[in-house]
Amino acid sequence: METQIQITCEEIAGKANARIVRFVGDLDATNVDYVTEQITNYFSDGLVKIVADFKQLRYVNSTGLGVLLHFNKSAKERGGCFKIANLNENVYEIIEIIGAASLLDIYDELNEAVAALN
Amino acid sequence: MGNSALKMEISSDWGSAEIAVLKVSGFLDFSGIAMLSKFFDRIAEEKWSYVIVDLVGLEAMCSAALGEFMGYRKRFVERGGSLVFAGLSGNIRSKLTLLGANKIFSFYQDVRSAINAYKWDYKKQSKSVAISFPADLALVPPIRQFASRLVRQKGYSVKDAFRIETIVDEVCNNAVEHGLGGAENTVDVRMSVDKEKIDINVSNKSAPEKVAVLRELTKPQTRGTGNHVGTDDKRGRGLALIRMLSNDMDVDITEHGTTVHVIKLREE
Repeated sequence: METQIQITCEEIAGKANARIVRFVGDLDATNVDYVTEQITNYFSDGLVKIVADFKQLRYVNSTGLGVLLHFNKSAKERGGCFKIANLNENVYEIIEIIGAASLLDIYDELNEAVAALN
Repeated sequence: MGNSALKMEISSDWGSAEIAVLKVSGFLDFSGIAMLSKFFDRIAEEKWSYVIVDLVGLEAMCSAALGEFMGYRKRFVERGGSLVFAGLSGNIRSKLTLLGANKIFSFYQDVRSAINAYKWDYKKQSKSVAISFPADLALVPPIRQFASRLVRQKGYSVKDAFRIETIVDEVCNNAVEHGLGGAENTVDVRMSVDKEKIDINVSNKSAPEKVAVLRELTKPQTRGTGNHVGTDDKRGRGLALIRMLSNDMDVDITEHGTTVHVIKLREE
């Protein structure tokens, strides 16, 4: 009875080592392992610059937030980045309340996050 | 085809001494206002303060009658109650809305809904639910989503419901993670919601030898309970989040188990 989450990946023109990763659903303790495996696979394939599109991410809890911080750190260690765009107001509040907004690379719009890729 | 004759009937056996239901059917035009006044004079003589006007059989209402209802409503509001409409047909609802009556009167689907609203709004009655589930993380999402739906149904805002969903999720996750597993060791969730707050109790069984560790983990100064988080740990922020989202929280840890009690006030 996992919470539904879907992850899809999209290439970014002119940036071979970057991808837009779209999250759809709820990110919580029941699916962090699956999400971690997916993102870690991207890193292992050399896709170390990730723009996470949270437009359709309805919910995130502290466990989900923990893996986002982990992705941020892992990407940087590999010379890449993990940028987040399009957060809904409720999800942003959770991130802010826990004091993680300043630790994550957050953008209002997807195109801003893509433009900020080196 | 002529208009149906105007009929009115009062009933008061609705389980509360303050409630009266005035059933109005037929065609309520200017000529019916005298009858309306007579019935409301009778209602005013009694101690009823919350009057539900049941419009199930009403075919039409003139604007002058609506004006009368506004005057009567004022009277019942002064008594600490109100006058509300129930059972409106689509046509009547549209007409009253067009006249702006929806900004003054509450509309309910039926008398039962109006009575429930009375108990909720005026009697501060709470709705309580108790759920027990096996200590399995996979069962937490439906519990948290149920909590969110429960408070939304009671008129809480989307934002409040999201915060409550988060609190229930985090408390239940902790109960599963730190409690005894297996189908025989249930996590027991009790929620009591009223117009102003939700009271959440989550209990789980835990191993007696873990008492000291759990007490250390739940101390406010322990790692993960401040709002300055590090990037190294994937876990350990749930309790901090609960503390920051809730208005009151206490944790009772014994050798039999742990009970977390959270109060979250309605904010919007």
